[in-house]
Parts: sequence; C-alpha cells; structure tokens
Amino acid sequence: MDIFSGLLDGFAIALTATNLLFCLLGAIIGTAIGVLPGLGPAATIALLLPITYVIGTPVTAIIMMAGIFYGAMYGGSTTSILLNLPGEAASVVTCIDGYQMAKKGRAGAALGIAAIGSFVAGTLAVVGLTMFAPPLAEFALDFGPPEYFALTTLGLLLAVTLSGGSIIKGLIILLFGLILAMVGLDPISGKIRFTFGSIGLQGGFDFVTLAMGVFGLGEILYNLESTMKTEIVTTKLGKVFPTLGDWADSRWAICRGSVIGFFVGIIPGGGAVISSLASYAIEKKYSQHPEEFGQGAIQGVAGPESANNAASSSSFIPLLTLGIPGNAAIAMIFAALMIQGITPGPFLVAEHPDVFWGVIASMYVGNVMLLVLNLPLVGLWVQMLRVPYGILAPVIVLFTTIGVYSTQNQVFDIYAMLFFAAVGYLMRKLDFDPAPLPLAFVLGPLVERSLRQSLLLSGGDPAIFVSRPISGILMVIFVLLIVGQTIFFLRRKWKRRCCVPVPPETEKSL
Amino acid sequence: MSRMRRVTLLLTGVSVAVLVFSGWGFSAEKYPAKPIQLIVPYAPGGSSDVLARTVEKAWTKYSPQPMIVVNKAGAGGVLGTEYVVRSKPDGHTLLFAYGSGCDLVMPHLQQKMPYDPLKDVVPVARISIHSVVVSVSGKSQFNTMKDVIAWGAKGNKITSAVSTAAGAVDIVMRAIAKRTGVPITTVPFSGGAEAATALAGGHLVIGGGHPSEVLPHLKSGRFRPVGVALDRRDGSLPNVPTLKEQGIDVATWGSVKGVAVPKGTPPEVVEYLSATLKKVCEDGEFKKTMATIGQPVDYLDQKDFAAFMLKASKDYADLIKELGIKL
Repeated sequence: MDIFSGLLDGFAIALTATNLLFCLLGAIIGTAIGVLPGLGPAATIALLLPITYVIGTPVTAIIMMAGIFYGAMYGGSTTSILLNLPGEAASVVTCIDGYQMAKKGRAGAALGIAAIGSFVAGTLAVVGLTMFAPPLAEFALDFGPPEYFALTTLGLLLAVTLSGGSIIKGLIILLFGLILAMVGLDPISGKIRFTFGSIGLQGGFDFVTLAMGVFGLGEILYNLESTMKTEIVTTKLGKVFPTLGDWADSRWAICRGSVIGFFVGIIPGGGAVISSLASYAIEKKYSQHPEEFGQGAIQGVAGPESANNAASSSSFIPLLTLGIPGNAAIAMIFAALMIQGITPGPFLVAEHPDVFWGVIASMYVGNVMLLVLNLPLVGLWVQMLRVPYGILAPVIVLFTTIGVYSTQNQVFDIYAMLFFAAVGYLMRKLDFDPAPLPLAFVLGPLVERSLRQSLLLSGGDPAIFVSRPISGILMVIFVLLIVGQTIFFLRRKWKRRCCVPVPPETEKSL
Repeated sequence: MSRMRRVTLLLTGVSVAVLVFSGWGFSAEKYPAKPIQLIVPYAPGGSSDVLARTVEKAWTKYSPQPMIVVNKAGAGGVLGTEYVVRSKPDGHTLLFAYGSGCDLVMPHLQQKMPYDPLKDVVPVARISIHSVVVSVSGKSQFNTMKDVIAWGAKGNKITSAVSTAAGAVDIVMRAIAKRTGVPITTVPFSGGAEAATALAGGHLVIGGGHPSEVLPHLKSGRFRPVGVALDRRDGSLPNVPTLKEQGIDVATWGSVKGVAVPKGTPPEVVEYLSATLKKVCEDGEFKKTMATIGQPVDYLDQKDFAAFMLKASKDYADLIKELGIKL
C-alpha cells in the first residue's frame, strides 16, 4: 500500500467536520486531564468508553481517544512547571527544572518551550509512525528478557546520575525505590512479599500514587512549614515565546528527546514515563553546564517534554501493527477497537485502512490544535498562580486525591499517597533529591523480572546477556559508562588531593 | 501568616476526610431503581474488561436501567471482589468475571482470603469460559502439542511463556509436564499481553493464553494454535483440537467469566438479573461482537452456574494438589 495515497485518504477522513470536532474535543479533554494532577488518560478513556459506542464510526471514537492520550502529554507540563506537581506521570522530571524556571519568573518561557517541544516531537513521531511503522514493530519484537535486562540496568545507571546531590544519597534513593518496587507479588514465583499482611499492598504500590505523594503532597507539606510569602503568586508569566537564546539552548534537547521518546515508546512496556526520565538524564550528561540542572535549565524542560510526546505517538506503532498494547492508555484503545469489532494487528492496514490512516492523519491535525490550545491560551492556566496558596493547596490536595483514587478506584491508594507524602517531606527535610526515585521504581520490577526470566531461559547461565547481539551491545555500553565514570571520579579526586584545592560547591555537584 | 497556615491545614484535612469517608448512598425502591454498577476486579483493557463492556452495551436493550462498568483492580482480583462482598445486597452492585483465578485457583493455594469466594457471593449467570489455548510461534516447526512433547522427550528444553505464576496458563503447562513426564520450564510474565509478545518474538518455545488474547496473533500467523486445554473444543476456535484429542490428558476450566451478587440479595433480584443476562447472551449483535473478540458465549442460569462453580472449584483443588503447587 502506497503510504502517500493512504495518508491522503486518511486526511480525507480526519478532516470531515465530525472527526475534526472529536479530535478537538479529545485534545481539550486531554489537556485538561493533563493539567489536573493524578487524573490520567487511561482512567479518562475508560470513563468515556461507553460514549464512544454511540458517536458514530469506530474511527471517530479512536481519533478522540488518541487525542486525549497525546493531549495529556501537553497538559502535564503546565502543572509541573507552575506548581511543582506532576500533572501527568510522564511529567515528573519536568518539575525539577520547570518549577525553578517559574520561580525565577521564566514560567512563560518554560511553558512555551514545553509546548513547542511537544509539537515538534509529536509531529516528528507521527511522521516516523507514517513511514516506518511495520519494520519498527518487527524490531521491537526482538526485545526478549535479556535485552530488557540490559536496557533497564543501563537505565538504573542513568538514574544515579539524575541525582543533584551526592552519589551516596542518590544510591540510597535508588535502592529505596527498588525496595518499594519489590512490594507485592514476586514476579516469578507468585509469592506475596513485603506486604505485612495488607491486602491492599498485594498488587504493590502504584506509580501515580508514589509520584503524587512524593512530588505533590510532599512539597505542599514542606511549604506549610515555611512562612510562605508564596513567591509563586507574584510570578509573572513573562514572554511565552522563547528567546533566541532559549531556542539555541533547547533545539538539540528537543531533537534528542524526540528520538529517545520515539524509540522508547515503541518498546512494549517502555512508554512516556521512562522516555522522559531517560531524556532528562541524557540532557544532564550532555550539557556543558550540568550544574544548571535543578536550577532552571531550559533543556531539562525541553528534552523530557519532547520525549514523552514522541513516546505517546510512537506507542501506537506496536498497537496498530502487532496488536500489542504497550501501556495502560493504549490498552484501553485496544479494548475500544476490539469492542467495535476491529482486531488491531498486521492486517489492520489492509482490513480497515480508514481506521489506520484516519487515526494517523488525525494525529497531525491534533498536534496543531494542541499547539494552539497550549501556546496562546497558556495565560489561562497561569491564572491558577494568582490564587492565594491557602486556597490553592487544598484544591491541589482535592484533585490529587480524586486523581489517585480514579486510577484504580481504591481508597487504599489514597492512604498510600499520604504515606508517600510523608516520605517526600522527609526527603526534602534531609536534603535528599527525589529525582532517582521514580525511575528506580519504574525500572525495578522490569530489571528483576527480566533478569530472572533470562536465567530461567538459559538454565542459570549468565552468558545469555552477552551472547545475543542487542543485549551484548547494551552491556558493553554499560561497562564503558561505569569505567568512564570511575576514571573521571578518580582523576578528580587525585587532582584535588595533590594540586588545586577544589571549592566545596563543585564537590557537591558531583 | 500563621492564620493562613491554619486555614490551609484545615481545608487540606477536610478535603481528604470528605474523600476518604464518603460512601455510596442507596435507597430502596422498585428494582432496578437506578443504574447498576458492574464491578470488574481487573484493569481496564483486559479480556474481562472487554467482556464486561460488551455486556454493558447489550444490557441497555433489555433493562430500563443502564450498567456502569467500574474497574477496581488490585491483588489479583481480591480487592474488587471484596468490595462487592461488602456492598449492600440490593442488586445495584454486581461482581463481574466471577469464576476467574481469584475465585477458583487462589483459595487452593493457601492464600488467606478475606472472604469465601463460594459462600459470600451468590452466582447469577455464567457468560463465558476463557479456555487456555496452547500456541507456538508462527515460525516454529511444530503443528500439534504432540510434536512439541515428542521434541521435548528427545532432551530438548521446552520453555513456556505464561501470563502469571500459578495463573490459568501456568497450571495448564505444569499439568502437561506432569502428565506427559516431559519437563517444561514456565517463565512468568506480567500479564497475557506481555507473554504473547515474547512468544511472538520467538524467545520461547510455547506459550498460551485465552482465545481473545491469542486471536490477533493467530489471525496474523504470528502464532499457531497447537491445542485447547478444555474438555471440549472452544466455541471461538472450533478448528483447534483439544489436548485430550491428542492423547494428552489435560483439561482445565481456564478462567470462567460469570456475574455474582453479594450474599443476601433477594432471590427475585437474582432471577431478574439472570433472565436479563440470558436475553443479552441471545442477542444477535452481542453474539457477533463476542465472535470478533474471540470469546465464546457459554450461558448458564443461576442454579446451573452455582452447581458448576462447586464442581469447577473442586476440579482445580484436585489438580493443584496433584501438581503440588504451593506459594
């Protein structure tokens, strides 16, 4: 099938009045739930599913759901930047530098670069989806347990470098995240572990619960303690369009973020959260001024926000070409297709070209709509800042509580969030950087499961990790990174000891 | 500023309290007086959820009140089931997917259950049985399970992707190994979709899943079905022989999908629900959708379903004892 004629037919479908309307509706709903902390696209799509039976053809329904999914990635950054609260799980790292930028009066630039980065990455990813969907899906299938293990261990290594403080504190947080991830069912034996008899813990902790507690409520608790002059209230939006300097600083971050997001999104189980965390770590690594990270580096906003958008678009590739849903929101879209009598998979293009190309074409349109929704109208969201903190904080608590409840409809998750709020508060008090926590928590189960699966496959022989090409290459990179870091570390130490005394700030930024 | 802080603390506390302690209010009127909550104890997008939403869609044709699907996932189905057990027995809160692993398998693995899955709920109707379809990768040399076993008997290592440890697929694989005497290494994944992906990538020799999970892969030729682990052929895959037909004496109930209500629900309400679900199961559009999503319609009314659950639970208890699966 010719790609261009297919895409043209797709646009003919996507540009009908009904489909445009539902695409816009999806984009608006997506932005809104992205802004509201905790409320995620999967829960929203689940709630809206019954409506989709009656709004006409399947393609209209899927266009709207897709709009909600990638729209949420745009909206999520807003809350992160303005309130230091992840509006969406994939926007956790955007808090770190986005909020610092807002504090310095550069909220407008942060929001602007997030929207532009999202648009560029989203559009690039849809182009990638259009051109390369089938071969890339085949490539994703080559990822077996050993490849997952190599990839995720590499991710853990990057997690430590995420930490702004000392390496020791970073490692402590990393291990804490891994331990939290082990609560619940043992992935291989099915035994229940570390639950202390609690049924609510049998399924383990939920990522949204952890992120909202540590980053959102933890911050609010910490703020209650200080006599808040609420500096955010006085914050001016500033210019939304980034300056030439901002653009020069962030264009490569946007490009790298787009590429990372695109590939991580294809791998089943990868998705927007991991891609944004990976992008942040890589930006920090590549930066000429790593000390600016955590102090309002624009790359720390541009990279991850681009990555999560690219990942949300590219995660449609395994769904549309292999029939494999890679994350919760895509699983809902998968269910919606099945109920409409359409089986996603390799035959989708041939059997339902209207759905395949219509949805892809709508994603081009939807990204333009979202840019308009998020760039000129961003002043609307910023009004949130003018609300006094005494009112804003309880409202945030209200929405995070509803949001956390809505992910699984379990009251237990609210208690768990309160626990994580206390953890987040203590971490701030004791000067621990919480950044590596979410990555360790997300990767922990993947590392453990893939390690044990690989060893089951090989009968206990660790050679399986180096004898396969993809995992072998990843392992070599892993070793090179460790060796490089160690040499770097030792050289600095040696220099410090025998030559120039190093000022204490440099030591801290290590 | 301290006043501001007090106000903040107070409002924060109140907003949490309201959300934590608010419940559902119920009123007693002629049944069904208001929308019926259909509790799915599993995550959105899974096969139970897809089935629930298919039922929900057809339900409105036959009842004055709509159904609302609510997912309460967690602890392998226990949390959602417990929620229904503790709900008011007035027929406005139904348990969906009754007969899944947490009802038929878990109690026999010495798990402490917060309720008795056979006594604390009343069966209403069986909707479907999700059998286990044993499959190989499409590139594989095997066409039947007999071939796979013969290959394994020569000393080759049979690895199998299963959705979860001690889940329906894992039990089938262990039973095959036990009854044929050929060892199978089961590798658990986190859910049917991931297990299917790994098998499609050719990382393991065999795998399995419910028809709705494997159907997209069968259609595309990525999977080849080699046997159904049911005592008869599966209605959604009538061309696939059972394991018994191939001389492998393994048959389980897979995962049963029925509807149940809390103990103490009035009999006339149970009767109404059972009769209406029968109409749903006989609905032409419903049957068509079920065929597309690869789920057979296996309706039983409240009496027959109750008897079936007792038998199915005993069958699983015997099998688990024989295989010596312990957690």
